Amino acid sequence: EESIDKRRVHLRRDALRDPAPVSLHLLPCEVPVNRPTPVGLFFTPAIRLGPDGLEASFRGHSLRGEEVVVPPGFMGYVMTEEKAEVLVGKQKDHEREEQELVEPPSVPQALERDFDHFMGATASFSSFTVWGLLAAAIHAQVSED
Amino acid sequence: LTAESVRLSWALAFLRGASPLGWEGAIYLFNMCLPQLFEIKVFKEKNRSWFINESVQSGGLLHFATPMDPLFLLLHYLIKADKESFQGKFQPLDQVVMDDMFPDCILLLKLPELETLLRHVTEEKEIDKKKYYKYSKEKTLKWLEKKVNQTMAALKTNKVNVSARVQSTAFFSGGQVSSDKDEDYVRYAHGLISDYIPKQLSDDLSKHLKLPEPPASVQNPPSKKAKLSDEPVKAKEDYTKFNSKDFKTVKKNSKMTAAQKALAKVDKSGMKSIDSFFGAKHVKKK
Repeated sequence: EESIDKRRVHLRRDALRDPAPVSLHLLPCEVPVNRPTPVGLFFTPAIRLGPDGLEASFRGHSLRGEEVVVPPGFMGYVMTEEKAEVLVGKQKDHEREEQELVEPPSVPQALERDFDHFMGATASFSSFTVWGLLAAAIHAQVSED
Repeated sequence: LTAESVRLSWALAFLRGASPLGWEGAIYLFNMCLPQLFEIKVFKEKNRSWFINESVQSGGLLHFATPMDPLFLLLHYLIKADKESFQGKFQPLDQVVMDDMFPDCILLLKLPELETLLRHVTEEKEIDKKKYYKYSKEKTLKWLEKKVNQTMAALKTNKVNVSARVQSTAFFSGGQVSSDKDEDYVRYAHGLISDYIPKQLSDDLSKHLKLPEPPASVQNPPSKKAKLSDEPVKAKEDYTKFNSKDFKTVKKNSKMTAAQKALAKVDKSGMKSIDSFFGAKHVKKK
């Protein structure tokens, strides 16, 4: 029974409303860790606007960047899964969440059970920067049209 | 997520449910207020990471929540029930949509206009004011044909390049681009729809649409071009692989990668094409 419940993750509606805007960069390389890093110290201050768009470097490689916009009608969110113990610690939040769940009449009975996994949007975005290696971008084939 | 759905929603849940193909779970987003079903598609590419504010996130995954026709999921259960237990018998829906692995499938029964939806793929009977349903392959094929036509229209609107043959011809004859054939669109659309239905039904649909078996020459022609355009990429380090041309090369193959398929699907729901999304404004500027 428990493993079945774990298949369901509840997304906090509150958090979707107005999360803070986030600065997002999609890099052309794999950094195999997830952790805080001083992006604002080593990366963003080095971004320049060159003749072909944004330029920056990472680990000694030149990068060229493009701002891409989230498709119309869509919104970007950075989601974070919350641990169960966080919920215990924030009892008040938890109660409010439950209340919201029960409130709409359309919620089926089965869903009134507690969700054991919660997810929140910690940030939102409407665009992000895609980075590619400068050399690759210069030598890329242009499209036929 | 569409802005509208977020604004209206009371509660949303990510669910792991049976994928329409049945062989693995998939993740869905269910808006419990509307209620409405979304599927979660992941864009995944090698050698990618995110900088998210002051942190680094490996993988560089990009998730899309796009509206999904719940009938594809319902169909999965209808076909399964018809095959395994109720062969040709009318059944109440709550006995059909049952899943030990994915109990949340009962959410599907809460969807509005369920009866209208089911009329596309089932025959129904009403006994004592209770509805009973039976899977109908004939009706399903007709419904799928409409889906294919609908998808074709979207492919044309979004100017998705569907033809491997036309592309290779254009390449070798020096940039002479002819318009894609309807047959190519049908095959491409059939391929996209097939991601949502079981293999057997996909084959049946192929016959129903009178799709010819693709000749061998059509399946392979992009290889030469792919090789050519891959060369400058291979010469570099692994993570130099980013450039918009990678996507274009993939697009010209008749078989798409999972990510490519995902994005092609996303296209249908009114998003920009992959080119405008990941790439290459500099290409357009030229």
